Amino acid sequence: MSTRRVLKNAILYPLLLMVVAVALLPIGWLLSTSLKTPLEFLGGGISLIPRQPTLAHYQEVLFERGFLRFLGNTAVVASAATALSLWTGSLAAYALTRFRFPCKLDAIFLLWALVVRTIPPIVLVVPLFILFRELRLTNVRVILILAYQIYTLPLTVWMLLGFFREIPREVEEAALIDGASRLQALARVVYPLVMPGLAASAIFCIITTWNEFTYALIFARVPADFTIPIGIATFITEYRTLWGPLAAGGLISSLPLLGFTVFVQRYLLRGFALRGVF
Amino acid sequence: MLRSPRFWPSRKVSPEGALASRPLGFFIQMMPRSTRLFGLWFERRIHLWLLLPAGFLFLFLTVFPLAYNAYISLHHFHFVRRVFYFTGGRNYLRLFQDGLFLAAIGNTLRFVALATATEVLLGTGLALLFNVRLRGRRILLPLAVLPMMLPTMVVCAVWVMLYDYEFGFLNQMVRSLGGTPVPWLSHPGIAMEAIVLVDLWQWTPFVLLLILAGLQSIPDYLYEAAQLDGASGFQMFRHITLPLLSFQIKLAVLLRLIDTFRVFDKVYAMTGGGPGYATETISLYIYREGFRYFHLGYAGAASLVMVFLVLGLSVLYARRMWKELRL
Repeated sequence: MSTRRVLKNAILYPLLLMVVAVALLPIGWLLSTSLKTPLEFLGGGISLIPRQPTLAHYQEVLFERGFLRFLGNTAVVASAATALSLWTGSLAAYALTRFRFPCKLDAIFLLWALVVRTIPPIVLVVPLFILFRELRLTNVRVILILAYQIYTLPLTVWMLLGFFREIPREVEEAALIDGASRLQALARVVYPLVMPGLAASAIFCIITTWNEFTYALIFARVPADFTIPIGIATFITEYRTLWGPLAAGGLISSLPLLGFTVFVQRYLLRGFALRGVF
Repeated sequence: MLRSPRFWPSRKVSPEGALASRPLGFFIQMMPRSTRLFGLWFERRIHLWLLLPAGFLFLFLTVFPLAYNAYISLHHFHFVRRVFYFTGGRNYLRLFQDGLFLAAIGNTLRFVALATATEVLLGTGLALLFNVRLRGRRILLPLAVLPMMLPTMVVCAVWVMLYDYEFGFLNQMVRSLGGTPVPWLSHPGIAMEAIVLVDLWQWTPFVLLLILAGLQSIPDYLYEAAQLDGASGFQMFRHITLPLLSFQIKLAVLLRLIDTFRVFDKVYAMTGGGPGYATETISLYIYREGFRYFHLGYAGAASLVMVFLVLGLSVLYARRMWKELRL
């Protein structure tokens, strides 16, 4: 190892570790709370390490409070909403960066995407409720998948614009000249090149939809339809907060997201070539 | 930077020629004329077709709700008492005479400015840090973005506990270091900053990932070429990284601006707008008018004002981004 490299490591590793420590400190507190017995938690103390670690809260949350069912609901809704957003959003972003539209349709489209995201959810909830009722749409999962597009679709479209723009048109023209149709060129040539963008959007979409609260609260009326955030909200009652289950539930809920991020980051971080810059 | 001329619009392609040069083109030409014409029509309008699914979703989700809001905002609409009559612009007049609403706008703007600026600066710095190829990066990155994955409910609950005056972790740290405890959430002077700190903790990873994805998609050959020409690390950063990253940075500002403008759950869960009205935000105001007092018409007016405020802020900005994108 060259001295330069050693020096770089000596500066960067402590920085990285510090960042991770700041990010993890409240989560560490959460973890320790989830493992403490209620008695020890109420006893207080600054100690992060529980004296008698117990998994009772996890057991309670998973098997007595129906979290397995909530997990299933959330997983179906969040992944379907993400898939829908990535599909429609990437097509739109591609079209917007590649073609000219009549009547400034493109600018209006992007502006409208912003409008969608700027409306506060508490404003949309009542009219959407009326709209879905009038359309005789009763399946809560379908309703939530559609409603979540309010968060995810504008994000996806705007994010992917930047990534599609960076792709040289020559790459695509070559595919078209070789006889691919435009959709084939899109699927075989363009999509692999925007993978970092798609990966990042997928992470954002799934995180937002996984943790969405307002629409889930309004549209899921019976426990069978609850998503995880609603399940967790039941631990905060008017009289007291059930800290153990709350902490355990929060950690259980973020584990699949962590797994997804770890899985997807291989598309986000390309592992090759020169990266010595900065 | 060199840019190729505008990509040919599909309508200018001679359709027959394009079709014949395609695999299966022969069979397509053998198809009945109507099917063929449909295929041609589809190909020629492909840019519109690509935009259609997303456009449909956008319209479906917003046209009716916005129209509904505009309609009821012109009425006095009390949901529980079943009162509904036309009042014209009176809701809007009342809104701008309400000191609380104006204070809420001020608070929201302060929150937006503080949170957006710090998150984007910090997130960009962290993205540059994580862009360096270091051993263990693949383990540290998911850990660093973990705060973003917790449900906001849980985040707020945890931070309320950490901020607690008597038993909170932060004040216990302060005490053990010999300082005087800080009334994090109960002092009007710093309550908003305390909430900004939580937002910072939760959403800086968002900016980090957004910018990191942008950094990762910068082609390596640009750096290779610059290095061959003897550019220094800083020069490469200044003339390659920064220009190519500018869209992502601006997008991060735009998205955080929009999202922080709607801030609701954190304020609701941590201070409820207090102490006094120090952390009252527009969303909270709308929520209280609409869902506590059931003044739905008034709440509708407030929300339209809010939408126009955010749009006014973001449209100018977004237009600049759009122009740059079209270069």
